[in-house]
Amino acid sequence: MMALRQIRLIALKEFGDRFRSGWVIACIVVWLGAVTLTSFFGLLQIGQIGMQGYERTVITLLNLVQYLVPLLALLLGHDLIVSEAEERTLKLLIASGVSRRRLLAGKFIGGCLTLAVPLLSGFLIAGAAIGFGARDRTILPFLGLTASGLGLGILFVALGQAISVFCRTRVRALVAALLAWCLLVFVFDLVALGLVISTKSPAAAREIELVCDATHVNAAADIHSAYDNVTNSEPKAHPRESASSTPLLWLCLNPIDLFRCINLPQQLGITVPFFVALGSSVLWLWLTLGAGFWKFCRTDL
Amino acid sequence: MTPYLQISGLTKRYGSIVALRDVDFSIEQGSVLAVLGPNGAGKSTLFGCLLGLTRATSGQILKRGAAITDSDLVRVGYVPERISLYPQRSVSDNAAFFAALRGQPVACAELELERVGLGTVRERKVRQLSKGMLQRLGLAIALCGKPELLVLDEPFNGLDPALLESLQAILEEEHGRGATLLISTHTMSAVEPLATHAAVLLQGSLTAFGTIEQLRQETGSYGSLESMYNQIARTCRRTEEVLQ
Repeated sequence: MMALRQIRLIALKEFGDRFRSGWVIACIVVWLGAVTLTSFFGLLQIGQIGMQGYERTVITLLNLVQYLVPLLALLLGHDLIVSEAEERTLKLLIASGVSRRRLLAGKFIGGCLTLAVPLLSGFLIAGAAIGFGARDRTILPFLGLTASGLGLGILFVALGQAISVFCRTRVRALVAALLAWCLLVFVFDLVALGLVISTKSPAAAREIELVCDATHVNAAADIHSAYDNVTNSEPKAHPRESASSTPLLWLCLNPIDLFRCINLPQQLGITVPFFVALGSSVLWLWLTLGAGFWKFCRTDL
Repeated sequence: MTPYLQISGLTKRYGSIVALRDVDFSIEQGSVLAVLGPNGAGKSTLFGCLLGLTRATSGQILKRGAAITDSDLVRVGYVPERISLYPQRSVSDNAAFFAALRGQPVACAELELERVGLGTVRERKVRQLSKGMLQRLGLAIALCGKPELLVLDEPFNGLDPALLESLQAILEEEHGRGATLLISTHTMSAVEPLATHAAVLLQGSLTAFGTIEQLRQETGSYGSLESMYNQIARTCRRTEEVLQ
């Protein structure tokens, strides 16, 4: 009972502090603007303006979400613990009978709340506007994007918190968080592509194409073409239908690629089994939160 | 009879530096222990080990014969050497937050704020407080819920005489209701009227421990606590020189 009470207090304090600082309101505005504007101007490059349906909006929004959500989550998570250490309030918290495990749990939940409230508010308000504007009722892909975007954010809050535990100053934590973002958003895909090419397997050419589409290496226009291909042709005619998804499951190691694969199953021709996605996410959470807890328990304050 | 607090073989090393070396002592409930020693003697490390802030390299700390748990710490009040709170929050917000973490109602925090003389500034932001006010707020937070053990790290530093007197009065009241007090300080004259026991730490080792009367008899120094401490420190230095 006491444990839950302490976790709740710490989580609510974290959320309250961010709310007062304007972070939550600013993020609501960012997401509301991003979704609405993307839906309205998303097809500008092919000469169309106007509110698009949910599926088109999802495709256009994907790149923005995969870059912005991890970045915001890392910015949120990187100072969860190190800021308390720098401001010397950490000692008082621990000496008040809050165990390190409860402190980490409270901080993590508070960070997730701070990410979730603006993201869900922005997406749901903008989603309602798209529904009315484009008279579209196929909201499922949009809800999928919202849920998987939130999941992606939660995984990166956990990573940010681990960074916050390992770093001794806020500046170092910020640098580490930005490096982690670059590593997972850009470097991982390039290295993955290099590995696929270096294997020189007969299936390499197809895999390179799939990896390009499944990762940031693709351009938004390609995905729109893929969307048109899928919607305008018979299902059996899709060139990637026969491609086995198994060799690409290693993409699930990176939550950003996993997020992309989940949201573009038809366009990429990759179906990530639910248990693989869930398992990968749980493993990621276990590793990051576990590493943070392991280090925090061995840190002298 | 099991002592209230028993520290045995407590050692803390930071790499090659030994912050605490095989510290052993025990105190009964209701004692006021003055922990004395120069800067870097290991006083704060001792408190850190007691409060779970620092992991001891070896040794143990027992409260009534059992290891200290998080639920024990809920009944411990702690005033750190340099008090830092949430600067963007108000005095009462800070007090209420820390009280709630220890399962105490807001009313308890308000009561302690009144007691330390901060009742009129409870809506003021912590960043606007003077050092003395901050010190008092730290004390109010520590006193919340009538803790059975109060750990105060250099509580008399930088206080004006009036504030010093009111702090002594509050600590006297806490002692009167049966709380155990551990006070580390360089201002020995301030702790002298309160202390029932003294522990002298020099370079991480417990050089002297006992009731004030015992120590006076052992050292033959019947003057102030400060002169007794100086006598112990001099004897220790001479012993080291002879050994070298």
